[in-house]
Amino acid sequence: MDATVKSHFIGKEDKAPAKPSFVLWRPSAKTGLMSWLTTVDHKKIGFLYGSFALFFFLVGGVEALLIRLQLMHPNNTLLTAQQYNTLFTMHGTTMIFLAVMPLGAAFFNFIMPLQIGARDVAFPRLNAFSLWTFVAGAIILNIGWFLPDGAPDAGWFGYAPLTSKLYNPTHATDFWILGLQLLGVASIAAALNFIVTIINLRAPGMTMMRLPVFTWMTLITSFLIILSFPAITIALVEVMFDRQFGTNFFEVSNGGMPILWQHLFWIFGHPEVYILILPAMGIVSEILPTFSRKPLFGYPIVVFSGASIGFLGFTVWSHHMFTTGMGTVATKAFALATMAIAVPTGVKIFNWIGTLWGGHLKMRTPMMFALGFIWMFMIGGFSGVMHSAAPADAQQQDSYFVVAHFHYVLIGGSIFALLGGIHYWFPLMFGRRVSEFWGKLSFWVIFTGFNITFFPMHFLGLNGMPRRTFTYDGNMGWSTANFIATIGALILGVGIAIYFSVVIYTYFKGEKAGEDTWDGRTLEWSIPSPVPEYNFAVIPTVHARDAFWYEKHHQDEIAKEKAEHHQAEASHGGIHMPFQSIYPLVASIGILIAAIGITAFDSNSAPGIHWKLGLALTGGTIMFLGIYLWALEGAEGYHLHLDDDGHDASSQPKH
Amino acid sequence: MRLIPSPSALARWVRATLALGGLALLTGCDLNFWTMKGHQSTIDVDGPVAKAQLHVFYVTCWVTLVIFLIVGSVLAYAILKFRARTDADEHAEPPEQGHGNPFIELGLIGASVLALVIIAIPTIEAIGYTYDVPAEDKATAYEINATAYQWWFKFEYPAEQIAGAGPLVAANEMVIPAGRAVHINLRAMDVIHSFWVPKLAGKVDMIPNRGNFLWLKAEAPGYYWGQCAEYCGDSHAVMRFRVIALGPRDFNEWVNRQTGPAREVAKVAVADQPKAQFASYRSDWKRNEKGWSPEFELNPFQAWQAQQEPDAKHENPALIAQGRALFQSKTCFSCHVIRGHMVGGSGAYPDLTHVGARSTIAAGLLENTPEQLARWISHPDQVKPGNKMYLTGYIPNNIKLTPDDVAALVAYLRSLK
Repeated sequence: MDATVKSHFIGKEDKAPAKPSFVLWRPSAKTGLMSWLTTVDHKKIGFLYGSFALFFFLVGGVEALLIRLQLMHPNNTLLTAQQYNTLFTMHGTTMIFLAVMPLGAAFFNFIMPLQIGARDVAFPRLNAFSLWTFVAGAIILNIGWFLPDGAPDAGWFGYAPLTSKLYNPTHATDFWILGLQLLGVASIAAALNFIVTIINLRAPGMTMMRLPVFTWMTLITSFLIILSFPAITIALVEVMFDRQFGTNFFEVSNGGMPILWQHLFWIFGHPEVYILILPAMGIVSEILPTFSRKPLFGYPIVVFSGASIGFLGFTVWSHHMFTTGMGTVATKAFALATMAIAVPTGVKIFNWIGTLWGGHLKMRTPMMFALGFIWMFMIGGFSGVMHSAAPADAQQQDSYFVVAHFHYVLIGGSIFALLGGIHYWFPLMFGRRVSEFWGKLSFWVIFTGFNITFFPMHFLGLNGMPRRTFTYDGNMGWSTANFIATIGALILGVGIAIYFSVVIYTYFKGEKAGEDTWDGRTLEWSIPSPVPEYNFAVIPTVHARDAFWYEKHHQDEIAKEKAEHHQAEASHGGIHMPFQSIYPLVASIGILIAAIGITAFDSNSAPGIHWKLGLALTGGTIMFLGIYLWALEGAEGYHLHLDDDGHDASSQPKH
Repeated sequence: MRLIPSPSALARWVRATLALGGLALLTGCDLNFWTMKGHQSTIDVDGPVAKAQLHVFYVTCWVTLVIFLIVGSVLAYAILKFRARTDADEHAEPPEQGHGNPFIELGLIGASVLALVIIAIPTIEAIGYTYDVPAEDKATAYEINATAYQWWFKFEYPAEQIAGAGPLVAANEMVIPAGRAVHINLRAMDVIHSFWVPKLAGKVDMIPNRGNFLWLKAEAPGYYWGQCAEYCGDSHAVMRFRVIALGPRDFNEWVNRQTGPAREVAKVAVADQPKAQFASYRSDWKRNEKGWSPEFELNPFQAWQAQQEPDAKHENPALIAQGRALFQSKTCFSCHVIRGHMVGGSGAYPDLTHVGARSTIAAGLLENTPEQLARWISHPDQVKPGNKMYLTGYIPNNIKLTPDDVAALVAYLRSLK
C-alpha cells in the first residue's frame, strides 16, 4: 500500500498524464477555499448556487421591508422618491435573478444528476463557469450600491425610453444592463449543460417517461432558458448601444419605437416566469408522492402539461402589454392564449390532489410547504385568470392587484416549493434532518405573514392604487390595507429569520438522519448521505418509474444486478471522475473585469477612456486566456477504483 | 400543557389565532379597504366603459370562486381524510399504488375549458366595445388630445380653437361634457406614461411615437380622480390629474371662460385699495406632506365649482399687479403660457392662463389654496422630486423668491380664473 495517506473516496492515478507546462496545474485540494474555487463537482456547485441565492434572498427581503415601511403610512418620509425607486427596482431584479433562479439552479445541479443515475453533469467545468459568471453578474448588478452613480432604478423591466441616457444619465442603468447580460450567459451555459446531461447521461433503463418529474421540469426549464434569453440579450444590447454609441433603436426623435423594447423584453419575460415556477412544480411533484406514499397521479399528463406550459409560454407575452394599444385583434388573441395556459396549470393541480387522494399522508415539514404551494398557487392562478380577461386587466394592470398576483405565485408558489425542497433534500445533502417542530413553526409564521401581506393588495389594486409609487395620500382609502400589509411583511420577515436560523443550526448541530429518511421513491435516495463524490458506487439499471421504489421492492434482483455491474465497471478502468480546474473561474473573472470596463464606457468617454478601454481589453484577454487554457488542459480526468466494500482501491489501476 | 407544544397542537393554536384575527379584521378597524369605495375605485364606477370592464371582472370572479370552492373542498377533504393520524398510520403498509385515471383527467380538462369559455365570451365582446367610441355615439363624440410629460398632463381641445392661438390648452384637470362619449388621443413627449381615471375607464398607456387613444363617457356631472399608471421616473407617484364632467350648459360656460384671455383685475384708486395684505404662508414644509383637506373631501364637485368664481373679497389688485410683474421678472413666463398677459412660454409646460379655476395644482397633487400654491412655488423640490420648477436638466435653477414675492405671485395666480 502506498505510504501516502488517502481517503476512502478519493483516488489518484499512480501515473499522472504528462502535462505540457506548469500552467496547466491540476488543482487537487479537496478541502478549503481552493477546493471550492476549483470544484467541478455538481454537488458543491449546487451548494454554492444555493448559498449565494439564499444570501441574495435576504438582501431582496431587506429591500422589500424598506419598501413596506415607507408605504406603511400615507405621505411617509422614510425614503426619498429616488431611494424608493432604486429599492423596488433592485428588489424585483434581485429576487428574480439572484434568488429564485439560482435556487432553482442549486436543485438542478445537486439533485438532477442523482435522479438520473449520473455521476455528474455532461460538462463539469462549464458548470463551474456558469456558477462563477452568475456571481460576476450579481456583483455587477449590486456594485452601484457602493458607487456614487447608485444602483439601478428604472424598474426590473427597464422600459425604454426611461432607460435612455437622457432620462437616466448615471451608470446605474449600465450596471443593470451588463449584470443581466452576465446572468444570461451563466443561465444559457447551465441550461445547455443540463439538457445534454439529461439526454445523454441517463442510467441504463431510464427512458424519458421514467424520468422523475423534477428532472423533466429541469429539462423543460432549460429549453425555456435557451430559447427566451436571446430575446432579452438582444434587447439589452440595443439599449446599451442606444446609451453608449448613440444608436436609435428606442430613440423616438430618430424614429425609434419604445414599444419594441416591451415586445423583446416580454418575449423573454413571460417564459421567464415559467422558468421561475416549473422547477417549483417539479419539487412539489416529488414531495407529494413521497409523503403520500403513492405514485404521482397521472404522470404522463403532468409531464405533458409541463411541456405545454413551456411551449404556450411563448405565445402569451403581450398580456403584459394589454394597455399599450395593440388593437383588438392582438388583444383578443393574447387574451385567449393566456386563458389556454390555465388549462395545463389546472391539470397539474388536479393531479396533485389525485396523488393525495387515497394516500397515507405524512404531514412533515416538506409536505406542509408542498400543500401550502397548492393552496397559494391556486389563488395566484385565479388572479392570473382575472388578468387574462383583457378588459378587466385594463383596470388591474400596473396596480397592486398585479403585485398581489405575482407574489402569490412567486412566494406562495416558487418560494414555498424551494423552501420545502431544502427541508426535503437536507438529509440527503448534509446527513442531518431539520427538527419537525421548528420546521413547521417557520412554515406557519411564513404562511401567515405572507397572506397578511399580500391578500389585502388585491383590494388595494381594485381600489385604484398604482404600482411603483413611493407615496400615496390618506384620502384614497388605501391607508389601512397598506398598514396591514406592512405588519404582514414584518411577520413574514420573522418567519424567514426563523427558517434561516433553523436551517443553519441544523447544518452544524442538527439531528443526524439515516439514509433514505423519507422512504423515497427516486434514485437520489438510494445512495449514502452525505453523497460521496462519485455519487453512485455502481450505476443503477432502471426498471420502472420511481426507480428506487422498484429497487426497494425487488431487492434480490437488484443486488444481483449491482454485483454484475460492479464487476463490469471495475474491469473497464473504474469510476471516471473529472479533474478540478481553475480556468472556469479565471474566465469568469475576465468577464467581470471586462463588464466593469464596458459599463463605464460611453461615446463621450474622451476623459478617462484609457482606463475604461483598458479594463475591457484586459478583462477580455483574461477571459480568452482562461478559455484557451481550459481547452488546452483537456478533459481526461482520473479514475477511482472502489473495492467490494465501496472503498478506494486505486493502488492497482487497471486499464 | 407541555412547555413546547407538539407540532399538531401548535398548528391548532396558530389556526385558531388566525381565524380569530381574521374575524377581528372583519369586524373591527377601518373597513374601507374591503368595500373599495375610494376615489380611484375600479368597483364603484361610472360610465359605460368602466362598467363593461367591471362586468368582465365579475364574470372571472364568479367562475374562479366556483372553481375554488369545488377544488378547495376536495383538496381540504383529501388532506383531512387521508393524513396519518396515529403511530399505526405512520408505519402502515403503503396504500394502493394507483397511477391515474384518464377519464377523470379528460373530464377535468373538459370542465376547465368550459369554465374558460364562459370567461372568454364576455371578454371578447368587451374588448371590442371598450376599444373605441361605439358607432351610435360617434356623431356626438367629443375629441380631446392628452399629452403626458414628466410629470404632468396637457389637455388640448381641438374643437375649441382660439383665434391666433390654436386649440384651447388646459393642464392636469380635464373638463369633459357629461352624457357624451369623449375620445381622448394619448401622446407622450418623453417617457412612457399612462392615463388612468379608474371610475370612468381602464387605462391606456401614453407611449412616445405611438398613436394610442381611449374613449370614456361620464353619464352625469361629477368629479373624478386619475393618476399616471406607468413608472415614469422620480415623481411618478405624484403625477396625477382630475376629470370633471359638466352638463351641456355648464360645459359651454367653462369653454367660453377658458378660451378667453387671462382675467384682468381692475385697478382701483390708491385710496380705495384695501390695506396690502402680505399673508404669511407656512415656510416649514417638509418633504411629501399631504396636500388635501377634509373640507374639500366633503363635496369635491362643489369645491371645483366654487373655484371657478373669483375670490372678490380677498383680491388685492396692487398685490396682483405686483405678482404679474414678478411673473415676468422671475422668468416664469419663459416656460408658462398666460395668454393675453405674457408673451412667450411653451406648450411643453403647463398653461397657466386660467390656473385659478383649477381645484388642484402640481398635477392633481395639491389643493389649489393659497397655502399650497405658496408651498409649490417656494419649495417645488419638496413636492415633486426632479421636476423642472427647480431643475433644468440636472442643474438647479437659481430662481430666488422672498416670502413677499411668493405672496404676490400667489395672489396673481389665484386671480387667473
